[in-house]
Amino acid sequence: MQLRYVFSELRTGLRRNLSMHLSVILTLFVSLTLAGCGALVQREANLTAEYLGTQLQIRVNLCTDNDPSNSPNCAGGEVTEEQRARIEQEIAGNDEVRSFDYQTKEEGFEKAKKTLPDVVFEGENPVVTVENWPGAYWVTLKDPNRADGIISAVQGLDGVSGIIDERAALSQIFGIMKVLKFGSWIASGALLLAALLQVANTIRLAALARRREIGIMRLVGASTLYISVPFLLEAIVTAVVGVALAAGALAAFQFWGVQRGLAENVSFLPWIEWTDYQHAIVGLQPPGIAYVGLALTLVPTLLLTRKYIKV
Amino acid sequence: MARAGTSRTVFPVIRFEKVTKRYPGPGTPALDQVTLDIDKGEFVYLVGTSGSGKSTALRLVLRELRPTTGRVYVAGKEINRMAGWKVPRLRRQIGTVFQDFRLLPNKSVAENVAFALQVIGRSRRDINKVVPDTLELVGLKDKGDRMPDELSGGEQQRVAIARAFVNRPMILIADEPTGNLDPSTSVGIMNLLGDINQTGTTVVMATHDHGIVDQFRKRVIELEHGKVIRDEAAGSYGFRH
Ligand SMILES: Nc1ncnc2c1ncn2[C@@H]1O[C@H](COP(=O)(O)OP(=O)(O)OP(=O)(O)O)[C@@H](O)[C@H]1O
Ligand SMILES: [Mg+2]
Repeated sequence: MQLRYVFSELRTGLRRNLSMHLSVILTLFVSLTLAGCGALVQREANLTAEYLGTQLQIRVNLCTDNDPSNSPNCAGGEVTEEQRARIEQEIAGNDEVRSFDYQTKEEGFEKAKKTLPDVVFEGENPVVTVENWPGAYWVTLKDPNRADGIISAVQGLDGVSGIIDERAALSQIFGIMKVLKFGSWIASGALLLAALLQVANTIRLAALARRREIGIMRLVGASTLYISVPFLLEAIVTAVVGVALAAGALAAFQFWGVQRGLAENVSFLPWIEWTDYQHAIVGLQPPGIAYVGLALTLVPTLLLTRKYIKV
Repeated sequence: MARAGTSRTVFPVIRFEKVTKRYPGPGTPALDQVTLDIDKGEFVYLVGTSGSGKSTALRLVLRELRPTTGRVYVAGKEINRMAGWKVPRLRRQIGTVFQDFRLLPNKSVAENVAFALQVIGRSRRDINKVVPDTLELVGLKDKGDRMPDELSGGEQQRVAIARAFVNRPMILIADEPTGNLDPSTSVGIMNLLGDINQTGTTVVMATHDHGIVDQFRKRVIELEHGKVIRDEAAGSYGFRH
């Protein structure tokens, strides 16, 4: 097969259907960018969950005199040593718990002095005193998603004023990520379908435009492969351009949006790196956008050329 | 070469064995239990009224169609049982010419002829050698650079014949090749087909053209409603038409 023939066919093919090819490329570009975004957000959500999972703790506050919670557990006023022993026994024996620390009133109060504004400690009747600062157990979980057992086990015990679950604050972040992830996946799914239909249409039109030529090729004994090569090359070219544009857009997002943006401003969280970007482009699981783009153009081309140029 | 001589006597170039072709839908079959042999080097007219099944028979030889029942052999091979990927190889041994020429309008005469070799992967050197010879054979030596729309109908048909013959096929199939031409131009085309036949190529030509058939006496196979009703050497077009 002469390369010269193949390339001249490719050139005329691309030119003949320029507007169709451009629309396929644009649709591929947008849909693959969205799909890549979905993959990156997914990765970021996993990173955040992994990181925070090791940090997330549940705080079991113990009763003080005149406990502000008005919990019936605190009817006896300040927690007693016996109550505390019972609570500690319960925490230590729970299999959702990885580890725990006891923080005395004094330790808690010292910590609070560093973080809370000075006014709450000043004056005749300061808002915060050692007496009304609760002692607490800081409980680290084995699995940050499983805390129901320990919460219900400890909740009703005498001397427990309340449980502060730090995971609640983060569930909001995870919620936003979920919306972003599914949003970009649904949108990219719809657009990928559109790209698929456009590819099919492009092939149909190209086969129609070349039907006289194809008829002669079949008649004089050109192989199916030979006849389909221009179609396959056109498909590959559109796929490569579409993937390249999407990869560029995602790289820009990774560089300006994540590295120069979020990572600098929200430095307490881990952020996706270039390896994650690479994974979104050429990773295997889930398939990177390079493969998705190629499959999206090549599969319908292979199927439809078989149909339209059947020897 | 002795081997080729032997094979000629062993099997015909084209053989139909009780071939019936039924198109989808109701009605009588387009070909009905057709049995015939065509030997190497023969020149055969396929005649019959419109719709009698001539084109259907030719398309079966190319394996553009498959018989509903019966067998079609080309060069001793039953082509219906041939694997799909071998069909291009079969077609390289068969040149085909149509009433409507089927040239590519955006290619010159020489490019049209060369196209048939290009797409089966022949080298540029081969092509540059064979195409001028073939154009000379069909009498278009000086017109290789013309575009098809700059040629007369007869000349266009010569280009089509050159394209069909450039690969030196074993069989040349022509479906009403003079259908669009006036009588004197047709005579020129028939002389050309006769020359090609002289090289040993088997020619099978479907035609409506009384004058031609009666003037260039060859074997005549007449079809009616898909059945062979006459098969005679050096026959005429027939009385009833
Ligand atoms: N693709 C097809 N689908 C259905 N029926 C067909 C098809 N092609 C041909 N036929 C029918 O088969 C019969 C034979 O057709 P065919 O084209 O072989 O005749 P023909 O002898 O070549 O006629 P003509 O002289 O007009 O070219 C006709 O009745 C025709 O209507
Ligand atoms: Mg016909």
